[in-house]
Amino acid sequence: MNYDQFLAKLKSLNEPETVSLVFNISSYFEGIKDILNVFTKDKNVSIIYISSTIPSKNIVNLLEIYGIDLKNIYFVDTISSIMMASDYSNPNTLYVESPTMLETIMIKTEYILEKYIRGDVAIVIDSINTLAVHNDSKILSEFFHLFATLIRSKNAYFIILSIKDQNTQDIKNIMSIISDEIIEVD
Amino acid sequence: MAEARKKCVTGIRGLDTILNGGIPVGNTVLISGYAGTGKTTLSIEFLVHGAMMGEKGLYISVTEDSGKLIENLITYDFFPRENIQKDIIFIDIPEIYEKLGLNKLQFTMEDINLLIENIVKIVKEFNIKRVVIDSITSICYRLETEEKIMEFILRLGKALQELGATTLMVSELLPSAKGYSQYGVEEAIADGIILMGNYERKGDLLRTIRVIKMRGTAHSRATYVLELTSIGIMLVPLLKSGGE
Repeated sequence: MNYDQFLAKLKSLNEPETVSLVFNISSYFEGIKDILNVFTKDKNVSIIYISSTIPSKNIVNLLEIYGIDLKNIYFVDTISSIMMASDYSNPNTLYVESPTMLETIMIKTEYILEKYIRGDVAIVIDSINTLAVHNDSKILSEFFHLFATLIRSKNAYFIILSIKDQNTQDIKNIMSIISDEIIEVD
Repeated sequence: MAEARKKCVTGIRGLDTILNGGIPVGNTVLISGYAGTGKTTLSIEFLVHGAMMGEKGLYISVTEDSGKLIENLITYDFFPRENIQKDIIFIDIPEIYEKLGLNKLQFTMEDINLLIENIVKIVKEFNIKRVVIDSITSICYRLETEEKIMEFILRLGKALQELGATTLMVSELLPSAKGYSQYGVEEAIADGIILMGNYERKGDLLRTIRVIKMRGTAHSRATYVLELTSIGIMLVPLLKSGGE
């Protein structure tokens, strides 16, 4: 679907579900901005943003430029620690030592859910491609299956980001098993 | 169908599910593991949840000054630090040794009896329902023989069970350990064993927990990953595809 159709589709999501979003590299960052904007502003939904592609600090900078309110956006940052770049100035960010610590990602997410979130929430993973760089496909499949089940039990939206050109057959299989819907954005 | 035993709800997220509702009341449970695996934190959280449920707790510190221990404790969102010493009795065992004249390296059977009597007296006096001994390994060091260790744990466990107290005994393991306790006999006598460990995968060190045995209840024997957080211990299943 084209970008406008994707935006309309995003806005029309009414029930918590697991959605895999497949972007072209050219629309990826605009996609992130619009996902966060639609959920926090239009739907009044808190976000737990799991970053394994770029450090959360860079995402925060990007969102600040776009004027997105960060108050209800929490980060589980899995990439800054291995780059020795953890920045403890943002109280909404929790760090995981490495993107290979998949169980810790689940625990930190659950911690934020229990400690901070009141009301609806969307959990965004950025991205399945970079998690696949650090983890083999078997453990990644197990992680996504378990995590998606956990998130469903919390009645939360689960948004999985990916880049079309980087989606291997293993990644497509994972998305197909756990997703209620896979949306390709042209 | 046999009547289910009354459970002591640990209050620790996930652990009560693993234990099918909690530890059977009166059980003596070894909390075994290497240094830094979270044994003391788990034991104190067990007492804290007890205090929140109105059950008086006793923490017997053998190796560390309890004041220092409390200072280094995680700050819980659900339980003010200043209440810890109000609602839980902390005793440093050197004070008991001093009082009983047990300042010696090796205990006789009489010494053991004296020590048990004293602990039981405190439990009775304060109507204690949850006991932690941290660590049993350090007490066993003074007991010299397997027979004495067995006698100590059996008699103390039985006396505390009769008083309706559930006991956690922290068991320190050395990296070279093959079983679940340093002297081997502790694990055979205890009603339950909860093993805390480290699991290394791709250079990451994950804290793990597994219930090896628990008399009086069905339980999971799977391995879980745990994190120590301000809202208490949190568990998720260890992903199995990572390989052993």
